[in-house]
Amino acid sequence: MLLHNSVDTDPRNKDLKSIYIYEAPVRLWHWVMFIAIAVLIVTGLLIAYPPPSTNGEASAHFMFGYIRFAHFTAGYTLAVSWLLRIYWAFVGNDYSRQLFLVPIFNRIWWQEFLYDVKSYLFLHVREIKYSGHNPMAQAAMAFMFTPAAFFMMITGFAMYSEGAGKGSWSDKVFGWVIPLFGQSQDVHTWHHLCMWVIVMFVIVHTYMVMRQDVTTRESIVSTMVSGYRTFKD
Amino acid sequence: METFYDVLRRQGITRRSFLKFCSLTATSLGLGSYFAPRIAHALETKPRTPVIWLHGLECTCCSESFIRSAHPLAKDVVLSMLSLDYDDTLMASAGLQAQACLDETIAKYKGNYILAVEGNPPLNEDGMYCITGGKPFVEELKRVAKDAKAVIAWGACASWGCVQAAKPNPTHAVPIDKVIFDKPIIKVPGCPPIAEVMTAVVTYMLTFDRLPELDRQGRPKMFYGQRIHDKCYRRPHFDAGQFVESWDDEGARKGYCLYKMGCKGPTTYNACSTTRWNDGVSFPIGSGHGCIGCSEDGFWDKGSFYDRVTGIKQFGIEANADKIGGTLAAVTAAGVAVHAGITALTRAKLNHGKGFGKDGSGE
Amino acid sequence: MTAYETQGFKLDDSGKRLVVDPVTRIEGHLRVEVNLDKDNVIRNAVSTGTMWRGLEVILKGRDPRDAWAFTERICGVCTGTHALTSVRAVEDALGIDIPENANTIRNIMQLTLYTHDHLVHFYHLHALDWVDVVSALKADPKATAELAQSISSWPMASVGYYRDLQNRIKKFVESGQLGPFMNGYWGNPAYKLPPEANLMAVGHYLQALDFQKEIVKIHTIFGGKNPHPNWLVGGMPCAINVNDTGAVGAINLERLNMVSSIIDQAIEFIDNVYIPDLLAIAGFYKGWLYGGGISGQNVMSYGDIPEHANDYSAKSLQMPRGAIINGDLSKVHEIDLKDPEQIQEGVDHAWYSYPEDTKALHPFDGITSPKFELGPKTKGTKTNVEAFDESAKYSWIKAPRWRGNAMEVGPLARYIIGYAQGNPEFKEPVEKVLKTLNVPVTALFSTLGRTAARGLECSWTVHKLKYYQDKLLTSIKNGDTATANTTKWEPATWPKEARGVGFTEAPRGALGHWIVIKDGKIDNYQAVVPTTWNGSPRDAKGQIGAFEAALMNTPLAKADQPLEILRTLHSFDPCLACSTH
Ligand code: HEM
Ligand code: HEM
Ligand code: NFV
Ligand code: SF4
Ligand code: SF4
Ligand code: F3S
Ligand SMILES: [Mg+2]
Repeated sequence: MLLHNSVDTDPRNKDLKSIYIYEAPVRLWHWVMFIAIAVLIVTGLLIAYPPPSTNGEASAHFMFGYIRFAHFTAGYTLAVSWLLRIYWAFVGNDYSRQLFLVPIFNRIWWQEFLYDVKSYLFLHVREIKYSGHNPMAQAAMAFMFTPAAFFMMITGFAMYSEGAGKGSWSDKVFGWVIPLFGQSQDVHTWHHLCMWVIVMFVIVHTYMVMRQDVTTRESIVSTMVSGYRTFKD
Repeated sequence: METFYDVLRRQGITRRSFLKFCSLTATSLGLGSYFAPRIAHALETKPRTPVIWLHGLECTCCSESFIRSAHPLAKDVVLSMLSLDYDDTLMASAGLQAQACLDETIAKYKGNYILAVEGNPPLNEDGMYCITGGKPFVEELKRVAKDAKAVIAWGACASWGCVQAAKPNPTHAVPIDKVIFDKPIIKVPGCPPIAEVMTAVVTYMLTFDRLPELDRQGRPKMFYGQRIHDKCYRRPHFDAGQFVESWDDEGARKGYCLYKMGCKGPTTYNACSTTRWNDGVSFPIGSGHGCIGCSEDGFWDKGSFYDRVTGIKQFGIEANADKIGGTLAAVTAAGVAVHAGITALTRAKLNHGKGFGKDGSGE
Repeated sequence: MTAYETQGFKLDDSGKRLVVDPVTRIEGHLRVEVNLDKDNVIRNAVSTGTMWRGLEVILKGRDPRDAWAFTERICGVCTGTHALTSVRAVEDALGIDIPENANTIRNIMQLTLYTHDHLVHFYHLHALDWVDVVSALKADPKATAELAQSISSWPMASVGYYRDLQNRIKKFVESGQLGPFMNGYWGNPAYKLPPEANLMAVGHYLQALDFQKEIVKIHTIFGGKNPHPNWLVGGMPCAINVNDTGAVGAINLERLNMVSSIIDQAIEFIDNVYIPDLLAIAGFYKGWLYGGGISGQNVMSYGDIPEHANDYSAKSLQMPRGAIINGDLSKVHEIDLKDPEQIQEGVDHAWYSYPEDTKALHPFDGITSPKFELGPKTKGTKTNVEAFDESAKYSWIKAPRWRGNAMEVGPLARYIIGYAQGNPEFKEPVEKVLKTLNVPVTALFSTLGRTAARGLECSWTVHKLKYYQDKLLTSIKNGDTATANTTKWEPATWPKEARGVGFTEAPRGALGHWIVIKDGKIDNYQAVVPTTWNGSPRDAKGQIGAFEAALMNTPLAKADQPLEILRTLHSFDPCLACSTH
């Protein structure tokens, strides 16, 4: 198993130019999820703050219904993509497990984490090359984004179960969530609040990948397209 | 002894329509025709079940609601279907004579009476925020619950705590399931519950001699299984995206959806949009005001009744998800912008001098 | 022992102490203790409100637009009156004017409440103080029908009806399960009605129980439900639409017709059942004139039912406004709820603390800070009180005073003030009743006077209902359908700081809410409620409140049966949830 992934700590990697990191299912998942979450955020906000009213007969419109339908479709898409992603964590390469397994008992990982933090604080220029995620990115993905995504799916399907009704699959699997929060309105509130956690992640994540692409010696953005991390030295 | 059947007969109902009533009851409860004769038999023969109705911290509007029941009529429930042996709001005797009614009923019907609780016990100040007979109400509640067959929690007070338990809950009022642990408790929430829902819960227990099926939160599924929103007649407007935008606007006059006015129908489990209130005349939404979620746990502390995105108690009364999350996201974005700026600056400096990175190429 | 005189009453606690707890057939938790002399006459009376929830504390920091819903839950019996008082307080603070229709609908809501509350009080909370159910078994159904037909044209008064009713009572009694009638004071010599009148009253007890649920449908139509209908700061939430598509989603003519029809039925019932019953029963008890208390001295009413929207002056208010002190009916004093010298609440004998307990405070500066403590002469322990010590704190009810005086509020107060003002709507019916019963005007100042005033008022309210319903229809006919003013709905439009007062005449009397708003939130909220006035404990000067005064000097027919105590307390229609809130 991959404990830490700075390329430099392994002497064999001295002249490494590229590694295949993100297998196709991971890449596909990433971009499907990107679209789903973008849709979820936009439609979620519209659910919270509906657009101005339509005119005419109610039967002639389904505007809010479509907004919610888009949200639920994207919600299902997100959930299915995550199921496949989890499956892939079992059968895929080492990098496919980085999202779920963080080597927090590994001293080197922590050293690299601190090293990363310092470089982001402009205390030094980063010299280490990483094959998969750098430790900070990995921590943010595993401890911030992944739990938030699950939180959204659990609370989302719990709310979805209220419409689907008692006895529906979502009620059977997620119905218990409502009383856990107190009542349905609380679930809405927390679901809504956690959206912002995801928004924050996305802001930082997008910035970071672009920045890394420009400032470090590894390829970043293209890696999620081609799967290959290339090194410029 | 008068039975349910006697009541109906006395109201001029024939045996034939009585049997029809039984089969209708059976069908409406989803039991099928097989149950009709059993219902009839039960109604014809059973003596009246004693009920003790206690009052804690409350506003007595659950009692007020109860007496408004149109089917069955409250008077028939109280005088003919069950035996209301103790209820301070209605009983003739007072003081020692009233206390004697309580003691006698408990002694005579040990394990066979129903305890109905309206309001709830405060725990602060040794319970002396609600004193009955010179003692804390919570003592009386526990004493009567001990020998009860089953307990009904009327309204939001007994079920969840209601207004007196709203922040900061100065008396430490608690729902009754926080002090009664060993009895089945049927929660019939609402502030107050609908009269006909109250009497239906009681008649269910008398008719079928069993407790209604309860949901995860202890409420009868038959009335609390769906949200107001699931069967709201304004739902087509919701789906169409037709909302009341401000009070008394064009949409309000056309009966558009009250979602934007803070309607809590989407998060409230109750029978209002179907059973409706006061013999089916209307319900909150039907008269232009959003649902305030009065049958939900802690509905007082979810922020303003007029907010769609409600407040978060944990962060103080002011905050809501967008205030907190939006601020954090804005701070994040600003942080990113600053970071990007510094990055650019640093890189410019490095490029100017010896370069950036191992090879000094700047990449 | 302590004996002292206050307000013309000599309080003497040396005799046997009788405790009545619970006082039943009221709203909430009330306890009274009285000392009886050797002739079983009450020589000292102590009334204790035994519950407190802390609504004033809970309201702090909340959105003023939500306050109506919280305060409405002060009481489910006078449901709506606190909500109305609350929206008025907020509107006063923020300077919000409501549309004419909203005012009319609010009047209809309020009048519906009175009608319902008074009716249920008379038949279901009060009647058993005068009516002996068991004696009804001895009645002759034929004579009962004759009696009923002689006093009104109400159709449900046949021999068959009463025979059937009597059989049902018999069967009920024989069942051995007496339910709410168990251990009643049946056969007590203080019951004066002949068996036939008792049987008739039992019949009307049941009919009234069936009918009361109809009246409240007016609340359901405009407010969505009852108990606890919905209200709105700035108007009413029920939009009106009688012409256009979509009218079925608003207040339309079908809804309005339903209101009209309920009002017509209610007028029938009040005028043909309630009023005749009241007079018939009063006829048998007119010699029992105890329970006047302070009603012959100090009475107060804020007035209510504004004819014109946003005009809460005495001229606009259809219910009398003013205060009478020291029994001087020739002078009705003007009341100013904002004047710090007029209304003040004390806590010297109530379970609260002030910076100085002996110094009463105006509600704008009011403080609600609970402090449960028992006096040294308390019998029993903290959690098992046998007798309270009234020389110390002994009630959850605060002690409000008007210019230092304990006041009685409620229908009787309103009728005395209306009478004193010579307002024919109030004076004439009173004179008619006095003449019918052949009693002097002083008979008003009694338990019976209170009960009679409530009945007369119920008739007044139900006829006013019709008037306001017609007014609403006329307004709609003239093209005005506005029900809400939303210009100041958003908190951003409010001043940084504001304070206001809202008042109503609740069924039980003068009700005021004082609100202080800061930065869009409630900074202080104080309610001074009818039963706070009537059920008031002693004040720092030792003055007693209306309940205690009314019980004084009443003889009990049987020392161990508190029938007369209940009778007098019930004549106030006590509401304890209201009183302490
Ligand atoms: C990144 C993921 C998601 C985001 C950002 C998101 C965002 C939101 C937001 C902002 C709301 C409005 C909440 C309110 O204020 O009441 C909402 C509502 C909702 N979301 Fe999501 N959501 C996400 C995932 C999901 C998923 C996976 C589901 C599952 C189907 C789901 C189902 C729902 C439902 C049922 C509602 C309530 C809709 C209604 O009441 O009409 N959401 N979502
Ligand atoms: C909704 C928006 C997005 C979310 C939730 C998201 C989430 C994630 C997650 C969870 C990973 C880790 C994948 C894994 O370890 O299996 C990842 C990696 C990655 N994402 Fe995103 N992403 C989003 C948008 C974007 C965008 C807009 C870009 C490109 C500009 C991007 C580029 C990348 C890249 C390059 C990686 C690989 C990083 C590395 O090699 O260390 N992502 N993303
Ligand atoms: N006292 C009192 Fe009320 C009344 N009427 C309210 O203001 O009853 Ni509950
Ligand atoms: S639940 Fe609501 S309605 Fe019932 S007593 Fe409590 S406050 Fe009143
Ligand atoms: S009015 Fe309320 S309950 Fe009805 S559809 Fe709209 S949001 Fe749902
Ligand atoms: S406020 Fe209550 S009465 Fe029904 S519609 Fe909502 S649950
Ligand atoms: Mg107060």
